[in-house]
Amino acid sequence: MTSRREALKIIGAVGVTCAFPFSANELYGQHVHPPGHGAPQEAQPGVPFAPRFFTQMQMPVIARLTDLIIPATDTPGAAAAGVPEYIDLVVNEDPKLQTIFREGLPGLDKTSESRFATSTFLQLTEAQQVEILTSLSESAAAGDAAFFNAIKSLTADGYYTSRIGLLQELGYNGDAYLAAFPASSIPEH
Amino acid sequence: MPKNVFDVCIVGSGAGGGTLAAHLAQSGVKVAVVEGGPPVNTRTDFNTHALPFDFTNRHIPTMKPGKPGFGSERARGVGGKTMLWNAVALRLSHRDFKGYTIDGAGADWPIDYPDMAPYYDRIEREVGVCGNRDGLEDLPDGIYLEPAPLKLGDLLLQRGGKELGIPIIHTRKATLTRATQTRPACHYCGNCMAGCDVAAKYNSADVHLAPAMKTGRLAIFSNSVVREVVVSKENRATGVRYLHRVTGKEGEIHARCVAVACACVQSVGLLLMSESRLYPQGLANSSGQLGRNFIPHFNSGVEGFLTEMIGRPVVNDEGFIDHAYLPSYMHAQKRDYARSFGVQIYTGIRRTTGWAREVPGFGAAYKQSVKQRFPAYVSFQCFGEMIPNQQSFIQLDKTQKDEYGLYPVKATAVQQENEGKIYEAMTKASVDILQRAGGEVLTVSNFQEPTFNHQLGGCRMGSDARTSVVDAFCRSHDVPNLYVVDGSVFPSSSEKNPTLTIMALAARTADHISDRFRKGEIA
Repeated sequence: MTSRREALKIIGAVGVTCAFPFSANELYGQHVHPPGHGAPQEAQPGVPFAPRFFTQMQMPVIARLTDLIIPATDTPGAAAAGVPEYIDLVVNEDPKLQTIFREGLPGLDKTSESRFATSTFLQLTEAQQVEILTSLSESAAAGDAAFFNAIKSLTADGYYTSRIGLLQELGYNGDAYLAAFPASSIPEH
Repeated sequence: MPKNVFDVCIVGSGAGGGTLAAHLAQSGVKVAVVEGGPPVNTRTDFNTHALPFDFTNRHIPTMKPGKPGFGSERARGVGGKTMLWNAVALRLSHRDFKGYTIDGAGADWPIDYPDMAPYYDRIEREVGVCGNRDGLEDLPDGIYLEPAPLKLGDLLLQRGGKELGIPIIHTRKATLTRATQTRPACHYCGNCMAGCDVAAKYNSADVHLAPAMKTGRLAIFSNSVVREVVVSKENRATGVRYLHRVTGKEGEIHARCVAVACACVQSVGLLLMSESRLYPQGLANSSGQLGRNFIPHFNSGVEGFLTEMIGRPVVNDEGFIDHAYLPSYMHAQKRDYARSFGVQIYTGIRRTTGWAREVPGFGAAYKQSVKQRFPAYVSFQCFGEMIPNQQSFIQLDKTQKDEYGLYPVKATAVQQENEGKIYEAMTKASVDILQRAGGEVLTVSNFQEPTFNHQLGGCRMGSDARTSVVDAFCRSHDVPNLYVVDGSVFPSSSEKNPTLTIMALAARTADHISDRFRKGEIA
């Protein structure tokens, strides 16, 4: 589990509420400050993504992992929502996460080899990939747990703050003006 | 005397400085407000309606591209933290002012509720506060516009609380639920803390300073980072020295009276920086108490989901964020700690999705689980009162200098046994209510990883000059024409959000200062 403090920091970074104990400056000014801060996210069509931290070989693995965590259903999944690119941006700024991924990614291929006699994670069937991810999520080993938590947390953060995740999947419809706030009622117990 | 001498020079332009400036100017006093940050326009300068995916890193910056402001604690902008506050506006009660007399911990205020009541009245009328008159002993009623209706989730929690004997009421906020002649009513877009772009929510720049400018007796010096309050050989404050934030040029403003109102930690820092032969340990610090008794609120948090709302259609009910509040109710109950707590209750919060990482599992089932819980998310933010202790204080960090060549100010808060007991009680109350209302708990915060909010204390108000920094009118015990008007003067913090009290104190101090000018007591 992520500690609550970490969770709150992320909420501070990705949410816009006052629910959390940070001063305005902290609320709006911490956790991640990658370069390009403030620039619109829209990907440029036809321009290939140039990862900052991961290699071109690693990006498809990151994309596959994010899609295993949040797959396409009746709405697009994590990779289509730009989550791998978001993760590359965040990890590039965070030395702790870098260590976790430097150890975790080669670990995937090693497990693929030892468990399924297949040299890379990407060559496994979906069922085999899910099996590896499941054992990582249930593992008592600190490194495994940290790797699973990192990729899951980053995927959740990235997806549910994306246009696809927030608007299309969750159906967020706030930020619209109301002339009056509607009253609710519930029956007494 | 230099040519341009103001009656009062106020350092800071937030709730304390803005209110003080407006009240003084209206009463005929000539005022200079000195603010470290630039002028900011709440209608155009903040990222009020941005969403996280508008930015590569999903981090919404405070200011729009190219708009300066809120770059550091020393230089926020005209209006200070009121530009971005959540607007909860609660009155302190007799129990809050006289906590030491009642339970033997901490310190009493030298004033009591009847001293403040007329000023709470005046501020509420002036700025517009919505709320319900609940008739509670621990949370005095004020003069209110109609409250914003409770959300569906609030009602479910209120019903759960009722079964446990725990009250949940409408929150009280300095946000208009009805238009005034100059400001529109809230339109419930849910972006209060990103800067209200119609000023339905109080901010000192629009509600206090702008009208005060029309008196012709107010001058605002923005982008002016004050580095020192100047005191004469005769022990009188004569003005301030500042550095221009952009040009770096030094300047000085002369005044017959100085008020420091730059938000608790920075106010203490400024006084500590204003060392002189007369005050080698920092200005107004002959007691050695300056910076001590730092008592910010400490927080706990509980997150979860209301079962009845899981899987419901998403509706637009972000409102003005939190609509419900759990007021202090502990005094009527048997308990093993001093003081109390209050809880801000958040339901219908749609933009906060950080909780999704805590939902178990992965894959299509996980995705479905998050989607169903999105309408049902609930968060309790608990605020506890801290008792002053020796390990909690504000000081200058003399090992380094900031971008203005000034020592950074460092605040340290350490929780002790009483805080631990309150922490446990307020966290448990939140969990109990959620469970009784038929909910599932997602996360519960941990006392070992403390979080603090609402900086308070450091310039304790008191009647004894040996144990406090300012008197009952926020006037320095040491320097007769020096005032401190912000949260730093709170001798006991209460568990209640402090801003309304800071504004009422500022209005009271304004009356006191203009009265002294009338009597010729300030030369």
